[in-house]
Order: sequence, then structure tokens, then C-alpha cells
Amino acid sequence: MTYNDRIFGVLMIVLAVAYGWGATQFPEPFGGSEAVGPETFPLLLAVVLGLSSLYLIVRPDPDNAWPWSRTGVELIIALVVLVLYAMLLQPLGFIISTLLAVGTLCWRMGARPVKAYVTGGVAGVVVFLVFNFALDLSLPLGLLSFLEVS
Amino acid sequence: METLGFLIDGFGVALAPHNLMFALLGAFLGTLIGALPGLGPANGVAILIPLAFTLGLRPETAMIMLTAVYAGAMYGGRISSILLNIPGDEPAMMTCLDGYPMAQKGKAAEALAISAVASFMGSLIATVGLILLAPILADFALTFGPAEYFALFMLAFATLGGITGKNPMKTVVAAAIGLMIATVGIDNTGVQRYTFGVLELYEGVDFIIAIVGLFAISELLFFIEERAGGGKAKMVVNKLKLSWKDIRDIMPTSIRGGVLGFIAGVLPGAGASLGSFISYTLEKRVLGSKGSFGEGDPRGVAAPEAGNNGASSGALVPMLTLGVPGSGTTAVLLALLISLNITPGPLMFTQNADIVWGVIAALLIGNFLLLVLNIPLVGIFVKLLSVPPMYLLPIVTMVAFVGIYSISNTTFDLYFMVAFGMAGFVLRKLEIPLVPIILGLLLGPEMEKNLRHALDISDGDWTVLWDSGLAIGLWVFAGLGLILPYILGPLLRRRMQVAASTGGPEGD
Repeated sequence: MTYNDRIFGVLMIVLAVAYGWGATQFPEPFGGSEAVGPETFPLLLAVVLGLSSLYLIVRPDPDNAWPWSRTGVELIIALVVLVLYAMLLQPLGFIISTLLAVGTLCWRMGARPVKAYVTGGVAGVVVFLVFNFALDLSLPLGLLSFLEVS
Repeated sequence: METLGFLIDGFGVALAPHNLMFALLGAFLGTLIGALPGLGPANGVAILIPLAFTLGLRPETAMIMLTAVYAGAMYGGRISSILLNIPGDEPAMMTCLDGYPMAQKGKAAEALAISAVASFMGSLIATVGLILLAPILADFALTFGPAEYFALFMLAFATLGGITGKNPMKTVVAAAIGLMIATVGIDNTGVQRYTFGVLELYEGVDFIIAIVGLFAISELLFFIEERAGGGKAKMVVNKLKLSWKDIRDIMPTSIRGGVLGFIAGVLPGAGASLGSFISYTLEKRVLGSKGSFGEGDPRGVAAPEAGNNGASSGALVPMLTLGVPGSGTTAVLLALLISLNITPGPLMFTQNADIVWGVIAALLIGNFLLLVLNIPLVGIFVKLLSVPPMYLLPIVTMVAFVGIYSISNTTFDLYFMVAFGMAGFVLRKLEIPLVPIILGLLLGPEMEKNLRHALDISDGDWTVLWDSGLAIGLWVFAGLGLILPYILGPLLRRRMQVAASTGGPEGD
């Protein structure tokens, strides 16, 4: 099957056209136009991307299989964990969010749940201590801020 | 000689106690990164960049540490080739051919020690080559005008896939995507481009975030997909019995391999995998029937190791003198230079002489450190290799999060990093190479600036881009870089595969 490259090629051509059109909409820079304005280089890029994507559509490589079903679900879980980790880093604090994020990732990758969350917790505490005391950089404490010294 | 004076100054920088300490730390971390499954050198250096920032290191110290990481990663890559027959990265492929049979015969420790010595020789030769060649090339590069630079950047992109690259058109697609991302933000005439009014995009996309996301996060996703969390079989290493005679025996091989590797590293488009391949095949031809290649000949371990370490030091030549990296890892090192506000290129040799020569001296010192670290400590590295990825990769991901977060203390950057990770996963599935994207991000602004200067000087006449002999030469090579893979690529790839399959333990 050779759908991957074709679909990607079509998407990239759409991107190239949108990007190129965007370049023509730039306001003229202060002081009048020059030989190379802000739009020249982007327009060149749009042409290059368009042509090379066209090549992909015409002569695509064989596909790699996409992970459907269970593996796909695992991937989505991992992505959700990463996004939640970013989201909760400040409100929950570094240690708790790391415990949850690293623990969940270890667990989903095949570790036993207890071991996984212990790993997460230890890693979180160690990195927090290293950053706070050895490197003098404060990571957010969040819910644990009552522990704050000084 | 002028160079010697600079080099002595460089040693002054590199031997300062705290620089030496960070070089040691870097060498250790680098070997670890090289040895661990799932952490290539480019990946490892990328994750450590934010760390260098958060530590508040001075530019030369940061650069010295990460150069040591780079050198160390090349050393570490061989450990899993020899013990597990699994090459850590492509250049280490040839080391499997004789390294694994040696390990099977119960000579794993000898194979590791020999490869450490050969790596050392390869790097040493190439570093000497770097010292001799770099100033000359830098002087030459001073004659480059904007048009020549523009052509040079094209050459860099065209040859990035390498002669053995699979589909050069995908390199072009990747480079265009990278350059496009680089145009986001306010350009130098003050016009906002593709910011969509989002404040965080005004200063453009931070390439450190992109690099860490593309490499580290996508690696995590790949491990999840392959369900490779369990790790690999346990390994045992015997006690080392190595005599001086063994070391003497591999010396000529190492020297030849180092020289060949250096040449392959300097030339655009060749790179470390070709370096180790050429030095292995040459060695096989030179020694012919006198060796037992493919069945655990020590020289078969020494040749590719000397070759790939020679090539990795050689790859620093174009990066330092022209500001044009030839490989993924040197591209990441370039990212560090740019974020330290150092303009890479020929002027660096005069304006930031302390950094350049400090780094070169650090490379020499780092080699000695690595040799000293590697022979006695190999047991520790082997132990760490057996940490299963299911614990390792989440922790690496966490370190990446901390690093990125500590640059700006905003969550926005983290979302961005995850998005880049997802994009990296999809692109790798489609076999779109990631390195041209990184290079595009890094070189985009410079490339546009040079295009602008060239056309301003010529008053809008585009032919200025191929007006000088030098520029035409660069364009021709760039063209060859895209066309040759179609002609030579399949041939070379087939030969490398044949070598790999017949050289295996069960083959002839």
C-alpha cells in the first residue's frame, strides 16, 4: 500500500498553498519594498515544498503500518499523560505530578503498578531536591507548598 | 606556529578545574547515553542542552561539556553492538560484525577494551586533523560572500541525507518544513509572519523545544509502540586479559581507520556510517586472508570503531568553520552555539577563539578521560544497560520536561514540546528524516539573511546567486548530493547489507 506518502503529500501541498498565500498577505515593511521582502523567502519555500510533495504523490514509498487497536490506545494514553503532566505541573506541583506521570508511563510500558509509581515518586523527589538545593532552581511545589522551608 | 599558540590557550581554558570537571561529567553521561537503548547521541545531547542552561554554565563550559557528551556517546554506542549484536546507531553496525563473535567466544572484555583503544586512536587522529585543517578552512571561508553562503546552505541540506540516504526528496520536504517553521515570528524588517497574533510566537519557535520534542518525546512513543519496555537479555562480561601485544596489533588498523574516518567526516554527505564501512572493508582487503574477519578478529572491531570516531570528530570541522553541520548530532551542537549567542562560522575562530580552541582542547582531553573511564568502568555501563526501558524512558521524558520548563517557566513550551513529539512520531513513521527539519530551523534565519544581502548588493538580480566560480561549484555539489543517492545509493546500501549478512557469526 502506498497511501501514507500520498496523503502526506496532499496535506503538504495544502500547507504549501496556505503558507504561500499567507506570505502574499504580509503588510509592506516600513520604508518601502526591497529586492527581498518578508514574503520572498517564504514564497520560495512554498514552491519547494509544493514540488517535493508532488513528487511524493507521484512516486510514494511503501507504507509503514500504523499502530491501530490496543497499541494505538496505549499511544493515545501516553500522549494524554504528557499533556496532563504539562497542565498539572504548576497546580499540583512538581513532585506529585511527576509521581503520577512517570508512574503511569512506567506502568503502561509494562512495569508492575507498585514499582512503577515508586519509581515515579523517587524520581520526582530526587530531581526536585537536586534542582532546588544543588542547582538553586525552584520547581513548583504546588499542593506540597506547606512543606516549604525558608 | 600560530595554531600552536591558540591550542595552548585552549588547553588553558579546558584544563581549568571546573571545565575539566564538566568535561568528565559530560564524558560519563555521554558514554551512558551512547550505551543506553533508545538514546542516540543527537537525542542525548539535545536533552542535556536545557540542563546546560539551567546550570547557568558559561558558554565555553557548556560547549566543553556537550562536546564531551558527544565524544562519549560515540564510545558508548559500541557496547551494545559488541555485547548484544544490536547496534546503538547506524555507524555502530559494522562493529557488530566482529565484536559480537568475539563476545560469543568469551572475549567480550577484550573486544570492549580494543574498541575503546581504537576509538581513542580514531578520535585522536581526527582531532589532530581538525586542528590542522580547521584554521585553513576558516581562512578560506572568510572569502565567502552572501551568495556563496546561500549556496553552501543548499549544499548542506542536499548532502544531509548522505549518499546512502533512501529518498532524497523526503530530505527536501523535511528541510522545507524546518525552514518554514523558522520563518515564524517577527522578521528583521519588523513584519510579523505566521504568528496568528499569538504572543508566544512573536519570537519564533525555540529550536531547543523542537529538538527535544522531536527526538526525546517521539522516542518514548516509539518504545511504547514497539512494546520494547521489557529490555534485553542479561549480559556477562569476562575478566579482562589484554596484553600490550594485542594493542600493538590493532594499531596500524586503528590509524588507517582513523584517517579514513576523518576524511569521511569532513566531506559533506559521507558521515560516520560510511566512515566505519569504508575502514572496515579496506581493512578486510588489506589484510585479506591473514585475518579472520567476521569470526571475531580484533582488527575487525578496531577498524570500524576508529573509523566512526574519526568521522565524528571530522564532522566538527564544517560545523566549527562554516557553521554548517554535517550530521544530526553536530546540528544539535550548533543549536547550542546559536542559543549561546555565538555566531558559528569562520569569524568564530577570531571572535570566540577561547571557545573554539577550548572545545578542541577539550576534545583531546576528553579522549584521554574516556579511555581512562572506559576500560575500568565498563562493568558499570554494562549494568546500567540492563535497566529496562520501561523505567528509563519515562524518567528521560521527565528530565526533558524539567529542562524545557526551567528555560522559561511556562507551560506553553511544554505543550509545544509534546506537539513536536507527536509530529516527530508521525514523520518518522512516514520515513521523513528529522535532522533536515532541525537544520532548517537552525539555518533558516541565516539563509534568509544571506539571500537578502546577496540580492540587495545585486539590486534584485537573482543571477548573483550563481555568479562566482565558487558559488557554481557549491551548487554543482549540492545537485550531486541530491542526484547521487539515486545512482550510488542502492549500490552502496546493498554492499553494506551484504557485508553485514555475510560477516555475521553464522555466515562465511
